[in-house]
Amino acid sequence: MESKSRTLEITILSGEDLRIDNKSVKKNAFVVVSIEPFNCKTTKMDGEGGSNPSWNDKLVMDMPMQTRFITLAVKCKASSGEKTVGFARIPVTDFIGGYSPETCLQFLSYRLRDPKGLKNGIINVSVRVKEPLHACSSQAAAAAAGLGIPIDGRNDFGVVTGIPIWSGYPSNSLFR
Amino acid sequence: MGNCCSDVGGGMAAVGGTAASAATGNQNDAVDMFFKSRGIHGLFSQIELSFSASNLQNRDVFSKSDPMVVVYIKERDGAITEVFRTEVVLNSLNPTWITKYTITYHFEVVQTLLFHVFDVDTQFHNVDVKMLKLEEQQSLGEACCALSEIVIKPNRSLTFDLVRREESVTATRSQHQGKLTVHAEECISSKTTAEMVLRCSDLESKDLFSKSVCTADLKHSYFCYIFLGILVILWCICGLILQDPFLVISKLVESGISIPVCKTEVLKNDLNPTWKPVFLNIQQVGSKDSPLVIECFNFNSNGKHDLIGKVQKSLADLEKLHSGREGENLFLPTPVGHDFQNKILKGKLFVDKFSETVQHTFLDYLAAGFELNFMVAIDFTASNGNPRLPDSLHYIDPSGRLNAYQKAIYEVGEVLQFYDADKRFPAWGFGARPIDGPVSHCFNLNGSSNYCEVEGIRGIMMAYASALFNVSLAGPTLFGHVINKAALIASQSLANDAQKYFVLLIITDGVVTDLQETKDALVKASDLPLSILIVGVGGADFKEMEILDADKGERLESSTGRVASRDIVQFVPFRDVQSGEISIVQALLAELPTQFLTYMRSRDIKPST
Repeated sequence: MESKSRTLEITILSGEDLRIDNKSVKKNAFVVVSIEPFNCKTTKMDGEGGSNPSWNDKLVMDMPMQTRFITLAVKCKASSGEKTVGFARIPVTDFIGGYSPETCLQFLSYRLRDPKGLKNGIINVSVRVKEPLHACSSQAAAAAAGLGIPIDGRNDFGVVTGIPIWSGYPSNSLFR
Repeated sequence: MGNCCSDVGGGMAAVGGTAASAATGNQNDAVDMFFKSRGIHGLFSQIELSFSASNLQNRDVFSKSDPMVVVYIKERDGAITEVFRTEVVLNSLNPTWITKYTITYHFEVVQTLLFHVFDVDTQFHNVDVKMLKLEEQQSLGEACCALSEIVIKPNRSLTFDLVRREESVTATRSQHQGKLTVHAEECISSKTTAEMVLRCSDLESKDLFSKSVCTADLKHSYFCYIFLGILVILWCICGLILQDPFLVISKLVESGISIPVCKTEVLKNDLNPTWKPVFLNIQQVGSKDSPLVIECFNFNSNGKHDLIGKVQKSLADLEKLHSGREGENLFLPTPVGHDFQNKILKGKLFVDKFSETVQHTFLDYLAAGFELNFMVAIDFTASNGNPRLPDSLHYIDPSGRLNAYQKAIYEVGEVLQFYDADKRFPAWGFGARPIDGPVSHCFNLNGSSNYCEVEGIRGIMMAYASALFNVSLAGPTLFGHVINKAALIASQSLANDAQKYFVLLIITDGVVTDLQETKDALVKASDLPLSILIVGVGGADFKEMEILDADKGERLESSTGRVASRDIVQFVPFRDVQSGEISIVQALLAELPTQFLTYMRSRDIKPST
């Protein structure tokens, strides 16, 4: 039988322009990578980078076949506990079934959004899937999606990433 | 917060020799700056051409020919300018010349060189070669090529058959003229970078609290101990004992002046500081043996930094310090009477890390077999005007004058086609309605429905001209489709492990209709070995398009929240360069070597020779 999960090597490279409460993050930012609620790993803390930390931390995780998203949570350790700087969700279709072969090292970057939904910096990662997708497993992936005809001939199994609308959102940013 | 004084933080930052991590703004700019701060020159390289010849004709009666090479540059308009002469080699039909010609190799310009071998008949003993009159010499033949042709060869050598232009009709001479070999070598010094981690130990404050006072007090009673303690606390508060050290590395030039090359960041309150790695390109300092002065200063926010001590070492010496794991004592020139004496300090400088790396340049990759592949997409929207009318941007002038589209294809293609191995270029049009069809935003320029390639620049020009009269211009202006098509080609090549890098040239007259669609396509393609050059022709306002070129703004963000991993777009409005001295080519292709190198280096792809 085909394997139920694949090995994902994700290297959290760096972050840019991270802020908490509109002030630049001073230090001790770290990232929690989670594939499922109980399948997560944490990077080291970055002591010096401030609001532009660089971790270069490689994490190896098991990724089940039906995974749709990898969630990245950037947090900051402050004296009052942990504060969340922002989240990003990486659709698995961005690196599987996309332009680059998945066993190839791919560099991806995502916009972070804080718990209120506002933009809060960028996170840069690189990913690589260890095992190439075999013919039998692609059926499994397609079966997992099973959402009908992709729009516009796109091959991403109909997955979209939604952006929450909150009050106080600058109106012109909705169109950018 | 809220200090109204000058930027102390800025004054404490490292300058010149450090790797700039993503401090502010665009990460792609920081990545480029990171490599540039390591001394990489992306736009051009210094090349040394050396010459040798074989089987030259013997033109002298009693001895052999005395050959000399003269190098000319052929300009675009045909004008020929002499640029270099080798020395004269005595009596040789198989000479190797010693003097080398250093030329700046501009990636984006076609540099046509003409080599002419002369037999020097006049007296040349003790005469500067420049003084020799060429019309008095005899020609042994000439050869012509573009500089890029030599550079892309694996062994960087090109051998020509010398050709002699005969004015007279007497063709009874033998045709055997001999061969000339030209060899190109990149100047090594621009490639090597030394990375060092420097550390100091036991830095002392200025000796305000002299030893004699100290020992004298200790002999006194407890009262003095308390007094001492209060003094120490007071001085700590005043910050006099604390040091904020930083290093300045300078090179000594011949006249004895020292020129600062770089400075490290300032470390606060550290008497045993270890600074972040320093990157020095060997070319910045001259050579590995050039004397360098490393000074350790105590940072003062008023700008008057106190010198703590200094060391004079070359890079080679620093390397020895590293391998020997020794420290070098700092010294401080202190005034003794009318003179300065070097007082040896307790503080020492250590080199915790020393490594040299050779940064492969664009040329290294080409010589190792990497190919550039050129693709072109042409805007056929109605805003260009009816092609049969002279005021249209697509007007084919019967007198042969090229229109804006043709000029752009020709100029950019002329340079890139040298690097394209098979000279077959995918060519598309967008924004038009082919005969009996709906509007297409990516149709094959050659009219075929199966394949999109044309042969050579001529093929593109011919396909363009015929497409003009076989489609009706429509709209709107959408780039997404051609970008996706180009990305697909690049991705297929990646899957086949080919060492190819793709360049898509989009020539358009107008502002993009759906900017977000274009951004989405660009973000998805940003991790591929692909660069996109957009040329804007005509008089439209291209402000919106400049957003696509990340130099001028922020990183591109798609509608799904993904951000472009690198800047792959270069945008240039054609009219800006049409009148000026900068050719369209220089403007567009200036970024290309950097984009190429960024892609290769981030993946640690090295040219394997």
